[in-house]
Amino acid sequence: MTTGPYGPLLDAVRGVRWPAARRIAGATLGAHPSTLRGNSSEFSEFRNYRQGDDPRRVDWRLLARSDRAYVRLTTDRATLRTAIIVDASASMAFPSATLEKWARAREIAIGLAAVAHADGDPVGLTIAAPRPTTLAPRARRSVLVEMIGALDATVPAGAEPLAPHLAAARATRVAIVTDLLGDADALLAGLRLRVAAGGEVLVVHVVAPAEIEPPAGALLAVDPEDATVRRTLDGAARAAYRRAFMEWLDGTAAVFRAAGARYLRASSAEPAARFIRRLADGVAVGGGR
Amino acid sequence: MNFLAPWALALGAAGALGVLLLHLVAWRRPATFLLPTARFIPDRRLLVSRAVSRPRDLLLLALRMLVLLFAGAAFAGPLRTGQRAPLARVVLLDRSTSVASRADAWQRVRMLARDGAPALLIEFDSTTTAPRELTAQDTIDGPPRSLVAHGSLSVALASARRAAGALATRADSVELVIVSALEHAGIDAATQSIRSTWPGAVRVERVAARRESGSTASIERAVPLSDPLGPALVRLPVRPGAATVRLRRGAPLTPGDSTFASAGGAVVMWDTSVAPLRAEGLAHSDDVLLALLGRRALPTAAVSIARWSDGAAAAREQPLGLGCVRTVGVVLPVNGDLPLRPAFQRIVQAMVAPCVGAATAAADTGAPPAWLADGRAAAPSSALRSDIVPPSRLSSSLFALAMLCAIAELFVRAPSRAEAAA
Repeated sequence: MTTGPYGPLLDAVRGVRWPAARRIAGATLGAHPSTLRGNSSEFSEFRNYRQGDDPRRVDWRLLARSDRAYVRLTTDRATLRTAIIVDASASMAFPSATLEKWARAREIAIGLAAVAHADGDPVGLTIAAPRPTTLAPRARRSVLVEMIGALDATVPAGAEPLAPHLAAARATRVAIVTDLLGDADALLAGLRLRVAAGGEVLVVHVVAPAEIEPPAGALLAVDPEDATVRRTLDGAARAAYRRAFMEWLDGTAAVFRAAGARYLRASSAEPAARFIRRLADGVAVGGGR
Repeated sequence: MNFLAPWALALGAAGALGVLLLHLVAWRRPATFLLPTARFIPDRRLLVSRAVSRPRDLLLLALRMLVLLFAGAAFAGPLRTGQRAPLARVVLLDRSTSVASRADAWQRVRMLARDGAPALLIEFDSTTTAPRELTAQDTIDGPPRSLVAHGSLSVALASARRAAGALATRADSVELVIVSALEHAGIDAATQSIRSTWPGAVRVERVAARRESGSTASIERAVPLSDPLGPALVRLPVRPGAATVRLRRGAPLTPGDSTFASAGGAVVMWDTSVAPLRAEGLAHSDDVLLALLGRRALPTAAVSIARWSDGAAAAREQPLGLGCVRTVGVVLPVNGDLPLRPAFQRIVQAMVAPCVGAATAAADTGAPPAWLADGRAAAPSSALRSDIVPPSRLSSSLFALAMLCAIAELFVRAPSRAEAAA
């Protein structure tokens, strides 16, 4: 498998698990707890035999010892179709000299895909660029290479909305790697629908340190997605900007969490592998941070 | 080069310096920085200022400074003064009949012009002549002597004060010289206050005054009653050896007549030749006579003392020495009652009266008033400049240059603004 510069990242996330937030109804054998109980080897409990139960699930040894009929219950595990949507709008190409934000978003997407793929989940990718790229969820081995190739070939530009891609994602679990500076409201609405339908949504909010603390000195800040937004950032405006931006960050986190999504903020200065581990540490079946 | 309002020049220079300082404060757009979160920055001005060591937009700066400097210089009222003389003079020459000898007065005036200082000559009686440049070569061929008995010193001083404004630009100080007999009749209630407007000393060149003879007209021999003038002159005393008037009827002027006139007598030349008669109006003083009269040509270089109704001179008088020669160009009818008419008699008596201002030279009758010659030094030029200055061509040129620079600044500024907006 050709992973290029992502090799160290893939090594670092090996063994990390990204379990489903709740039991899933999938029938394909996988790594995530399923809502089904069947014939797997993972014993769960006994239950009194009821009329209609499959006689093959009666524990005959226990019947012989106790003269009572019990049915042996086991926990099934299933795969979880996962789609990763990466925001490739112009705002992700920041700072313009290093594209650190876009690089971190790519690494996080690859890391999440690798972790899901390691659990045997079909993983797909959607790059929300002016010419969107969509890879349907697959569990085959080459899927990571295809994702790496698609992401490396993309240059962030334009202002492609994310909400349509969220609505079109054919996966139970959707991870959105974005800076939420585009169609956040529409995205939130689509997210609520998906959560209500039993889906699981992870929002990875990528923030660059230079966005919180822009370079010193007077600057004419221009929004890369809307050239009409041209503001002077000098000493007087800097404090007001920082206050407004932090309020927006906190408010956005609260809104997305209230909508039922899992919201995680990722600094572009934080290594992607550390972020993946932080994601895994906070996940438990039936809940999440 | 001198300036009427140097403060305007300083104001222009200060403005230009201010422009230079403003150009050292560069208002510019800061460096562009692509910031995805720019929407969170308060929407304020797009320009920031900073101090720079070298002014920007040198051409624009130069044009703006030139506009202010040119405008300041134009408002300052530059005057080309050339080389200034230390002293200039305004000479007031009394041309009234109160001066005994006009030649003597002119001699005094020429003496004043000998040092070559710029001088303006103003002759005055009850009015003044226009100021004219005075040189040592000037002659007496100016306006004829006035018939006004006394020159008005108030009028003369006011004219001198006006004329000194122009002269002040050519000299450091201006001296006022009055060449006059300075009789008390020439001084009125306003003279002292007008004198006080002259900010320096007044030099008085006093000349001899005429003394009125006080004698009444007398003729050398009686005029026959057959002469139309006879009835009018019948009461005139006849003094063969001491007459004041010599009436010449139809006889040419003789050397004896000239001697008589030079001594103070009046020689009246009244021709008896025949000329076509027609209805004419003859005026002298308040007397007007309408009668059949004839006209004769008169010499032009003399003063009119009687006029026809159309304004032409009917009698002229020419000063000669202390007296005069009077020529009457009125042809009288031989017959008729004209000699009996009172208006005719009064006009005839006026024609044979002693010369106007006939007088003899008199000694000074007293010192001029002390306030007239008050002050020790000539008036400084700065105190004499007129408040109403004729527009200087230099000022107009400077204004035009300022306007040109302002227009050029507009054209230079437009591209600079476009570049800044880009």
